[in-house]
Amino acid sequence: MMLFSQARGLPVLTLAEADEIGVVRSLTVDAPSGVVTHVRVRGRHARKETVLAWGALHAIGPDAVLVRSAAAPAEVPSHHELPGLRILTETGDQIGTVQDVVFEPETSRIEAVRTVQGDVPADRLLGLGDYALVVRAG
Amino acid sequence: MNELMAARSLTTLPVVTLSGEAVAQIKDTVFDAEAGRITGFTLSGRGLLSGPLKQSLPWTAVHSLGHDAVMIVDAGVLADTPVVVARREAQQGRVLHARVLTDEGAQVGTVLDVVVEGGTSGRVVGFRIAAGKALVQGSRRRRHRVYVPRGETLAVSGRALVIPADATRYVADDLPSFAARVGAFRDGREGTPP
Repeated sequence: MMLFSQARGLPVLTLAEADEIGVVRSLTVDAPSGVVTHVRVRGRHARKETVLAWGALHAIGPDAVLVRSAAAPAEVPSHHELPGLRILTETGDQIGTVQDVVFEPETSRIEAVRTVQGDVPADRLLGLGDYALVVRAG
Repeated sequence: MNELMAARSLTTLPVVTLSGEAVAQIKDTVFDAEAGRITGFTLSGRGLLSGPLKQSLPWTAVHSLGHDAVMIVDAGVLADTPVVVARREAQQGRVLHARVLTDEGAQVGTVLDVVVEGGTSGRVVGFRIAAGKALVQGSRRRRHRVYVPRGETLAVSGRALVIPADATRYVADDLPSFAARVGAFRDGREGTPP
């Protein structure tokens, strides 16, 4: 179990060469299926942002992320930054903003979205867009 | 009962899809001719410089009307404005400033706003009115703004609307206490024989 805030800033290294390609900047989420799909990496010096598909990762550990290949995926979905985003229920009521996200680094599965009022379990997630994260009314 | 909302406070409420995108905001609320329920919303774009949109939101396409947003399934449910605003007399302007009379012939005030129920019903449950002397006792300077329940029988002509006389016993000063009064009003009606 890991938090998005813990994953952010981890160094990203290639498994074969141990080259550091950058640090984790953010994680891209597919809300309806409740999984992390991509990792966005910012270069240490070049400040260039690269996107890695979850399938290209070898492991996310407490101190580093190891990747099998640093090649960019064919298709990059639009990214919506979760921390700080407002949460709306499907009935149109705001229930706070996203503080953090709890996920399993082994499976990429999201367990819960953390808010001031408590955790929202991942099976309540409906959709994620520019304006809000929409969840089922609980 | 769902949360009650004043129709004027719905203006600028964002219209949000279930996938989390804000596609528009409410410009005006459109009621049916009997002022019984919402038939839809006219829309404007989001942001300072965006004007009215050609598309509107029919009530049938609303997933839920909430405190912070109007939820829709996706942007495909928006309809051309003429479909929603088909009957000009149905517009809110005809109800606002209309005189409110009881069915016993007493004038109780003029309509300031329409109170609707949130959620999926779109029902009009009452009106916010500038109360006349007949309804609220006291000096003219402290002219009250109160909420009166709609009642099931309501006649609307555009210039005036007629509410049942017993509705005036269930006036409230603010929306939270009005929600309780509307419930009591409905229960009272069901309890009394016709």
